[in-house]
Amino acid sequence: MAKESYSLFKESWGMLLTYLTAMVLVVVLTIHLLLESPLTGVQLDATLLFPVARANLIYFKAVFGLLLYAAVIHGVNGLRVIALEWLHPRKRAWLLNLLAVILMGFFLALGSYTLVTVV
Amino acid sequence: MNLAKTPRFKAGLLSSLVPFGFNVERWGYVIHRVTGVILIGYLAAHLFETFQLSMGQTAWLGTMAALHSLGPLEMVGLWLVAGSALYHGANGIRLILNEMFGMLMGKPIMPVYPYSPTSLGRNQKIAVWMITAVVLALWLWAGLYLLAGLGVV
Repeated sequence: MAKESYSLFKESWGMLLTYLTAMVLVVVLTIHLLLESPLTGVQLDATLLFPVARANLIYFKAVFGLLLYAAVIHGVNGLRVIALEWLHPRKRAWLLNLLAVILMGFFLALGSYTLVTVV
Repeated sequence: MNLAKTPRFKAGLLSSLVPFGFNVERWGYVIHRVTGVILIGYLAAHLFETFQLSMGQTAWLGTMAALHSLGPLEMVGLWLVAGSALYHGANGIRLILNEMFGMLMGKPIMPVYPYSPTSLGRNQKIAVWMITAVVLALWLWAGLYLLAGLGVV
């Protein structure tokens, strides 16, 4: 029997990952907004200039690193799920999964490189 | 028969994005997906923009200048992103409470005509409308904040 490329068992792992990253995003974004928002008076200025001087702070690396990984995993998996809902037949799901992994890898590489190199 | 080529299947794909005539859950389903797509588009653009910092301050300033050259469109885009993030986040929390913890849902009942779903009971409706009110208020505030950035208000 041919191996199924679409598995509800695997999808439930994907769903759990989506929920977990969503909860991480809610917590991290709340911290980010509380630490760096008009509410606390610490905000990007009106021209949206990025304060590069802050970039080497541990806060920057930790919060933005977590934000990057959670957002990319949640976002790309979400996009894959939307596409999957429209995909027929489901036996082509492997192609969609492959595209999602490539896109996720690209985004994570780009973001990680930025986090590591920006000083 | 190839189901994907049937008019009914194609109509089904499009109608899945049209919430008119359906209950608030369907509206939530559609808006959640649309805001999700907006946010992933923003994420890609934001990753590209911050990546320019790795190329040096000059490269990044060039990218920012290109963005600022859009004028008020940039702020409109940011306003849409703010609204999307607010709705997606708030509705996402509701969905997690529903689907992971079974909260805000009524107890299962026998499916008796006219099939009024218990999942759309009083608590769920209160949650949906509270989310809508809070998101709209914060979105308005975000709009005023962005307008202040433009020096309009």
